[in-house]
Amino acid sequence: MISKEIDRVGLAVALISAMYPLVQQVGASRIVKGVRIPHPCGDPSLPPELDLRLRREIVETALKALQSEVKGPSLFLPNMAVAA
Amino acid sequence: MRLELAEFPVTQVKLEGKFSYHSGTLEVDGGEIKSLVLQDMRIADVELAVVVPGEKVRVTGIRDVVEPRVKVNGKGQVFPGTLSPVAPVGEGRTHRLPGMAVVVSAEYEGTIRAGSAVQRSAMLDMWGPGAEASRFSSRVNLVLVLRLVKGLSEIEAHTAIQRAEYAVAKRLAETTTGVKPQRVESYEFGRKKSKLPRVVLIQGCLTDSHHPHSGLSYYGLPVRDSLATLVHPNELLDGAVTGDTTRAMAPFPTTWDWQNHPLVLGLYEEHGRNLNLVGVILERIRFETHLGKEVIAHNTAQLAATLGADGALITWTFSGNCFVDVMLTIRACEQRGIKTVLVTYEYGGKDGVDTPLLYYVPEAKAIVSTGSRDRWIELPTPERVVGPNERIQLFSYPGAPVVSAWDSVTLDARDLIIGGVDIWGGQSSTCRAY
Repeated sequence: MISKEIDRVGLAVALISAMYPLVQQVGASRIVKGVRIPHPCGDPSLPPELDLRLRREIVETALKALQSEVKGPSLFLPNMAVAA
Repeated sequence: MRLELAEFPVTQVKLEGKFSYHSGTLEVDGGEIKSLVLQDMRIADVELAVVVPGEKVRVTGIRDVVEPRVKVNGKGQVFPGTLSPVAPVGEGRTHRLPGMAVVVSAEYEGTIRAGSAVQRSAMLDMWGPGAEASRFSSRVNLVLVLRLVKGLSEIEAHTAIQRAEYAVAKRLAETTTGVKPQRVESYEFGRKKSKLPRVVLIQGCLTDSHHPHSGLSYYGLPVRDSLATLVHPNELLDGAVTGDTTRAMAPFPTTWDWQNHPLVLGLYEEHGRNLNLVGVILERIRFETHLGKEVIAHNTAQLAATLGADGALITWTFSGNCFVDVMLTIRACEQRGIKTVLVTYEYGGKDGVDTPLLYYVPEAKAIVSTGSRDRWIELPTPERVVGPNERIQLFSYPGAPVVSAWDSVTLDARDLIIGGVDIWGGQSSTCRAY
């Protein structure tokens, strides 16, 4: 909802969420797939150096998403392999 | 597997005297109840009170509600794994005392002070708008007010509270051994071939795998990241499925709800007439990735298909992202040709104008609404307060505002009223379309 309001005033916005289908349904424009619901932007179960790489990958995907033109809800997938 | 529930309705509970049940009057030996409860060294003190429908009384600090039952025939005893040894229950004869319930209340500060695992308790008004909002205001309630020893962990506090209420509930029902029941109801699956549609109940259950107690127990074992599990509905009737007594809130079922699951009883009533009940699936919901949600939906629908189900009644517990798991389960069932009906409460906000559901799929074509969880409610001043404390904490975070239980209270939602949300359609609300 907040992301839609930011969109409405003409600012580019990307939303990182592990519940991306729900966010798609609500109508957010740029959606970045997050890791898990309790920790979308990283994975505390990883060793710190791997977690840092994962977090960087997610943030960089979000920055790429911000620079992309989209028509309607679009999903951006960070390159990550995380267990369910 | 045939279970008979023999009914001994209670209209009056008297706390003085010896244990006896006679034509609706239950006499209770208060002293014996107290010594039964105080056998547990984790409980420092207990008080008893009786509250009746219509009385201007408010009960605070409620942790659970349970219907008195005892098995007089068949393997095992009520509440297997929690009060009695693990044994295959659901067969034989069980006595029950409808018309009354045991309400357990306890002061418990908790070792977890914030977050989703923090302890919660609920309240109940026996009169006025609060009574109208709850299914637990229409019976005579025997209230146990417990004082626990200081410093107990969440799981210790839960076990102490649960053991106390179940032991008392069973002791009350024992007064009916040898007495002729007013009515006997039988619960059994027909083995004979039937052309009636085969229907399964899919009970979505939020479990928190990281909490001290997950929120759902099967024979006393907390269910955590489980795949879908098939259980016999009679197991519910004998108390094999229970919850966490340190976290009582309206969207969580109480023990009474598991014992009297309205959809199980409703399906049994139609069994052999309009449908063929084939079982109950306990589906763990609240997986933390979308993949997890998709897998549990697939797994549950696959189990329903293996049972040969033509239709599924689907419902759930609690709130939040686990509703996505429920909706994906509906889709997975419909994709396999299993027709679904969802039974759920709605949100809608305190004025009823917000989004009613968190998520939906187009396959969810048949939904029964049990009313709103969110609508605000005003509770007037009581004449009597029963419970471990005379204040009510409105929110769970540390330092949250408290109000006096003796005052009128305005609530933004129904969560703090035990039974204040009609989770499975057992209440009789009606709606008006505008």
